Amino acid sequence: MSRQKEEMVIKKAKTPKQKALKICLYVFVILMALVILYPYLVMFTTALKSRAEIYAAEGTVFPNTWLWSNFTDIWSKAPLLRYFLNSVIVAGGSTLIAILCGIPAAYALARMKFKGQKFFLGLVIVSQMFSPVVLLIGIYRVMLTLHMTDSLLGLIFINAAFNQAFAIWLLRGAFISISPDMEQAARIDGCNKMQAMIKVLLPMAAPGIVTTLIFIFINAWNEYTIALTLISSDLNKPLTVGITIFNGYNMIEWQYLFAASLFATIPVIILFMAIEKHLVSGLASGGVKG
Amino acid sequence: MKKKKKILNLLEPYLWLLPSMLLMAIFILVPIYEVFRISLSKVTKAGVIKGFIGLANFEKVLGGSAFPMVLKNTLVWTVVVVGLSTLIGFILAIVLNNQFRGRKIARAIVVFPWATSLIIQAGVWKFIIDTDYGALNTLLMRLGILEKSANWTPTPGAYFAWECWVGIFVTVPFVMFCVLSGLQSIDNAYYEAATVDGATYWQRLFRITVPLVKPSLTVSTVLNIIYVFNSFPIIWTITKGDPANHTDTLVTYLYKLAFYNGKSGEAAAVSVVGFLILCVCASVYMVISLRKEGGDE
Repeated sequence: MSRQKEEMVIKKAKTPKQKALKICLYVFVILMALVILYPYLVMFTTALKSRAEIYAAEGTVFPNTWLWSNFTDIWSKAPLLRYFLNSVIVAGGSTLIAILCGIPAAYALARMKFKGQKFFLGLVIVSQMFSPVVLLIGIYRVMLTLHMTDSLLGLIFINAAFNQAFAIWLLRGAFISISPDMEQAARIDGCNKMQAMIKVLLPMAAPGIVTTLIFIFINAWNEYTIALTLISSDLNKPLTVGITIFNGYNMIEWQYLFAASLFATIPVIILFMAIEKHLVSGLASGGVKG
Repeated sequence: MKKKKKILNLLEPYLWLLPSMLLMAIFILVPIYEVFRISLSKVTKAGVIKGFIGLANFEKVLGGSAFPMVLKNTLVWTVVVVGLSTLIGFILAIVLNNQFRGRKIARAIVVFPWATSLIIQAGVWKFIIDTDYGALNTLLMRLGILEKSANWTPTPGAYFAWECWVGIFVTVPFVMFCVLSGLQSIDNAYYEAATVDGATYWQRLFRITVPLVKPSLTVSTVLNIIYVFNSFPIIWTITKGDPANHTDTLVTYLYKLAFYNGKSGEAAAVSVVGFLILCVCASVYMVISLRKEGGDE
């Protein structure tokens, strides 16, 4: 539907001017793609070089010998599998808690009228303003009290809390876009509110919910600063902090750093591409239209 | 019996909100309170709070020789990164909104920097710009553009400029997708009518497109101000704020104060200053979005 609206200027090149415009367009897009992909190309080719080749006086663009073994070596050079698992646990746990707390809140904000609704919505928006970095000292203290420093559970709770705003925002947008008629029909048939929500609304809002899930998962997966501050023992580190093990004081093992980085990045990029379309419309409907 | 039910009905929405509120209260509100408390307290190196000392921490930090530079850096960092990202993101969105072959691939590629962890993205750029073995020098020398390797980071300012570039690189996709979503909701009839009336491309751009994507731009700009202001990993990875605070922003500065120098009190004071700056942004944003809210219903 919106596809048709997207056509703006260039539909079919006819006149020479339009042809020239189209060529410009392609040149621009190709240049853009090259610039964006460049760091990924560097990451990939460097991950395949030997250390000697990276630090050699005569640098190479592509590896002289393609050391695919770097990709297998890293798993024994560092407890990478452990880091990977930690990241999965932290990101998965944060997503679960954020969504379990976020769904009822978004439901109330989308379907009920009550005093303080605007206030709460404002609070949600404001909470998004404060990144964990600014509050790091306070967070550290709270975690000390709760005995959650150096624990994955601590990271899970903090990530969940700081993603609440986004969760509520996206979910509320998804719920509002669905007409309450069906739920009311279910209520007449004898369901209570909770049942109507679980059986009728949630399945219909599934795309929005999945988008929210993946988005929070990615945020928690990529989080660095809190983990850097709170986690002290090596075996509790998530990937983002763990891979810096290759970033030694005297010499950086770039090949291993980038090989590990690729393992940390590729799954996320695939996930992100899957939700990109929904995420943007979700941001727009939750945010702009309220 | 009836009264009980009425009270329950009245309370119901708050019960639905309870888990979310608890989560945010414990892990966001309490830390906010703690930061304010620490900023007004004497704190030992070990982190023990030793009573109220008024604004002494603030005086120490704000009077420190590094602070004006840190504040200036933060301002430059936020304005440059958000400003240029918004401009570039807007242009990219306009371009990618055209119909052309490979558009889907182009859009997928733009997602890459958004999806990559900042720490990884910053790490790659640190390698790219390295003077001795950096990938950029190698590439330019192989292409015959450079004769011998160039020093891309001769001054702290140059480092800071590269950090801004990485910031822009990772921020553009978000702007682009926000604008793109705005563009897609514009009714084509506007453009048809304008074309019939003989409007030029630029007139259509500035009279139709820009005003209609303004809400999307507002959202992305305000959110980006907050994200960029608070961004830590890029600067931390590339320079750690060195040399001598020349590339520090408020967040890297406070991190060093708190976790390297054991000056929690002063670090908390820096937090509060950053916090107050963001509060201004937050209230502006709230006013804008709540006004929208009111207009919609």
